[in-house]
Amino acid sequence: MNPTPTCSSCACGGLTLSGVSVRYRNFTAVHDVHLTIPDCGITALVGPSGCGKSSLLNAINRLTDLIPGCRVEGSILDGAGTELTDPGLDVLALRRRIGMVFQKPNPFPHSIRRNFEIPLREHGLARARVDEVMEKNLREVGLWDEVSSRLDESALKLSGGQQQRLCIARALALDPEVILFDEPCSALDPIASAVVEEHIDALRGRVTVVIVTHNLAQARRIADRVGVFWIRGGAGTIVEEGEVEAVFGGAGDEEARRYLAGGAG
Amino acid sequence: MASLFPASSTRPRPRRPGDILLGLAGGLACVVTLLALGWVLWDLVRLGLPHLSVGFLTGEVVDSGRSGGIGPVLVSTLMILVFALAFVIPPGLGCAIWLSEMVRQGSGAARFVTGAVDLLASVPSIVFGLFGMSFFCQTLGLGFSILSGGLTLACMILPLLVRTTLSALQSLPADLRPAAAALGLAGATTIGKILLPAALPGILVGITLGVGRALAETAALIFTSGYATRWPVSPADSGRALSVHLYDLAMNIPNGGAAASASALVLLVLIALINATAAFLAARWHRHHLAS
Repeated sequence: MNPTPTCSSCACGGLTLSGVSVRYRNFTAVHDVHLTIPDCGITALVGPSGCGKSSLLNAINRLTDLIPGCRVEGSILDGAGTELTDPGLDVLALRRRIGMVFQKPNPFPHSIRRNFEIPLREHGLARARVDEVMEKNLREVGLWDEVSSRLDESALKLSGGQQQRLCIARALALDPEVILFDEPCSALDPIASAVVEEHIDALRGRVTVVIVTHNLAQARRIADRVGVFWIRGGAGTIVEEGEVEAVFGGAGDEEARRYLAGGAG
Repeated sequence: MASLFPASSTRPRPRRPGDILLGLAGGLACVVTLLALGWVLWDLVRLGLPHLSVGFLTGEVVDSGRSGGIGPVLVSTLMILVFALAFVIPPGLGCAIWLSEMVRQGSGAARFVTGAVDLLASVPSIVFGLFGMSFFCQTLGLGFSILSGGLTLACMILPLLVRTTLSALQSLPADLRPAAAALGLAGATTIGKILLPAALPGILVGITLGVGRALAETAALIFTSGYATRWPVSPADSGRALSVHLYDLAMNIPNGGAAASASALVLLVLIALINATAAFLAARWHRHHLAS
């Protein structure tokens, strides 16, 4: 097993997945995934729909715990060597450290301020610092100038792209080491999608990013490393993994190569 | 290529007879509905309004209600209502939260509790009255009292509140729960700070419906809160609800008709006011929290 690459300039950690499988009762969604997610880089997971990419993300931040009958096997180690699949782990603290942004923007149906206040207070931030942290992170995603005059209005009044950036800012506000993006741009129009992509790209070097995307051009533009999922023996697994140029330049796996060239999937 | 359908044109043409007939029938049905409401209102206003005055609203019941006012009855009614709400809201919300958020949908326990709630909803109010008399008045020794009446009404509107709160919680966007979980929020925070506030308009509707049923209830109260017309001093006093007063005036008191109409008018206005307040609160909440 390769050691997880580390980055000296920041506190975010990489992840090392070995032999990870995700099962829903009798159905195996993900089988035997080995993947090294480097510190502070952007790792893209690509592949056809239904081959377990989202299930793998949910296993990392333990959202799989919420699905009755779902089991995760194998090992997921963070940069400090903590086993994330440990049943005794404090999953609430884990999810603060490993944030997630979903396909469909999901702000809470409350004010923009409440969207930050609830999670920040939950994890022990003093009330007096909420506004400051909110502003910093809204600026981070280029949303501050658009919403600073209506922080007490409903977050649902924002456009889809603004809502997604709000969700990114809300995840960033908890100062996570890793953020998991599950097709963050696929519900957005091309312009909003480009803005969101730009802000994900800007996270490089500050937080470890794992992004599931169906947009191969996007993966190629922003990712440092890419993992290609495919169905093998009825379950999704990673058939190709490596530096983005190496994988796109000529994957060893025949199906992965055709998929990446736009010929299949 | 030949079309599947006979040749047709998009020229304007007269409306089809079926459409005209349906339009007429729908309009007629609306007129009948409005007439029913109008007739009730007209009758109450015609008979009751002359009897209505500030003195009627605040005065004591004199001569079995033929003269004097309904002051003590109004106070008793509001006290019964406040106790009913205080006793029904905690278990009503708790049961709905459990069913919606804590137990797996479709599990045996969830189906059993939902079935019990629905069964409770189908129990006639007179049965609640008899149960209230035997359990609250006699077994618990609360006697004919405002407290007994409030508790009995709470049992009666409990299934209504559970059902409306449950559907309000279940109609929230499903992605709120994973969103909250992914931010590391504990279950209690998710429910208390995100889901319940978001479901508040629906819960308010349930409470309003419950208040309406409670105000309209006679059978469950005759046996539990009684029909004393004195000014109530404590929840342990017997107190006559407005609907019971109305029933008594209309059924048992010769020449009570005008006072009955006036009391009915007050009841109607009270219900309309409560509905309007709830609608106003829900609309204000909606403007504040959700997309306009």
